[in-house]
Amino acid sequence: MFVLLAGLAVPERADGVTERLTGMGSVKEDLHLEPFSSASGRSVKTRIRAFRNGTLMLGTLVLAGCSSWVAPKPTDPDALAEYKEANDKYEPLNRKMYNLSVTVDKYSMRPVAKAYVWAVPVPVRKSLGNMVQTMNEPVVFFNDVGAGKPRRAGDAFVRWCINMVAGVGGFIDVAKYAGYPHHDNDGGLTLATWGIASGPYLFLPMMGPSTIRDGIGYGLDQGLSPWNYVPRGYGLLTFNWAYNIMGVINTRANHLDDLDQVQRDALDPYATIRSAYQQQRKAMADAIKNDHRATVPDWYN
Amino acid sequence: MKISFTRRFLLGTLVAAGLASGVARPASAEQSATAFVHSLGDRLVTIVNSNLSGAQKKEKVLPILQSDVDVDAIGRFCLGRYWRTATPEQQAEYLNLFRQVLVNTITDKLGDYRGVSFTIGGATPKGEDQSVDTILHRPQQADANLEWIVSTSSGSPKVVDVLAEGASLRLTQRQDYASFIQQHGGQVSAILSALKLQVERHKTAKPG
Repeated sequence: MFVLLAGLAVPERADGVTERLTGMGSVKEDLHLEPFSSASGRSVKTRIRAFRNGTLMLGTLVLAGCSSWVAPKPTDPDALAEYKEANDKYEPLNRKMYNLSVTVDKYSMRPVAKAYVWAVPVPVRKSLGNMVQTMNEPVVFFNDVGAGKPRRAGDAFVRWCINMVAGVGGFIDVAKYAGYPHHDNDGGLTLATWGIASGPYLFLPMMGPSTIRDGIGYGLDQGLSPWNYVPRGYGLLTFNWAYNIMGVINTRANHLDDLDQVQRDALDPYATIRSAYQQQRKAMADAIKNDHRATVPDWYN
Repeated sequence: MKISFTRRFLLGTLVAAGLASGVARPASAEQSATAFVHSLGDRLVTIVNSNLSGAQKKEKVLPILQSDVDVDAIGRFCLGRYWRTATPEQQAEYLNLFRQVLVNTITDKLGDYRGVSFTIGGATPKGEDQSVDTILHRPQQADANLEWIVSTSSGSPKVVDVLAEGASLRLTQRQDYASFIQQHGGQVSAILSALKLQVERHKTAKPG
């Protein structure tokens, strides 16, 4: 907490921790790479990004190449319909990643999130959640622009301005009360509004459910986050660590009950998460596509 | 001449009648679906927010679930293609178990929703059913978007599905069951024993 507040006094930087229904919370690659990148400046950062993109490409190629990770396509028409509905070509691999993530989560993030909920009172948790959300607002803004939705982009922009000033650096969601409630957007959804299909479902270790498209969108979001372009310093570094750790714990804590319930009630929790994730992503993309509100805000008319 | 006139007249009348009913029906269906969800929501919220004990709340909710939710239709939907391969005895046993599991899941959640309220939006036709939008306001938590799918195919309006933030609960459940059955050699008996286990576990976890 104190580290976090101390970091805030300095012009800060943070990565957009996209809050998604990932379940596992999102562990940021930056977390491990930060000390190196800050030591030798931006070129390392660029290299890291290139490396990250390279990993993604390599990952895609490996996925395409390795047949033992690919679920066999059923011949029975009913089973085939089910297979297509699940959209899970890499099910054997995904299940391995899921099982690994659940085991690791059980002994790491879940107890931490539980302790956080137990120790930190609701108003404080809410403020920290607001802060995480506000710091990600630029990413939402750029994606709204990318999706060609000026009204949504305007909302995100106004939210950012109001919350950073009147909301004391994002700790209070003042914009919500001023008639600008939060809306989600990310690279995967922007690509979806461009008509790009989701591609097969993926379960990314410790990051949760995704698809090929959403994985690429996640990479794009890192590039869209202005925090990645702010000059580095010790205060920034401190803030960044605190912010990332905060974001991960906050996201995990938000889904404590949902995930416990899925683990308890579902016969096949993996399939339940897969189904719910894909339906919700589709609904989110449709909501953006069907948002035809006028560009100017209501009070202007 | 006369025949063609009659035919044209008949056709015209049919089209006009079709149009009229097409215009008139959705409006009234939408209204009745909205009114139905409104009354169902009000009754549920009253029980949830009351000072009754968990067991008493459960007792009060049960008749509402029986009259306003088409549990059997949801159960059949959730079993998907395996409904056809199941024997009549298996179907009956499955529906019985499904009903218990569903009731347990819903009544377990009643305690979590203390202080809840909702606002109701409009209804839109969804296939043969009506979809009614509601926003759930929970204390200390973000608002949740719930869509109720109301079907009148059984004669009276009944809930056949709920979409939580865009995810259909019955579709998610069907994919859960389908995947489970598939992993157990496509045997319906596998899901029956799994559901039986769930019901048993619930009984031992919370006696009474």
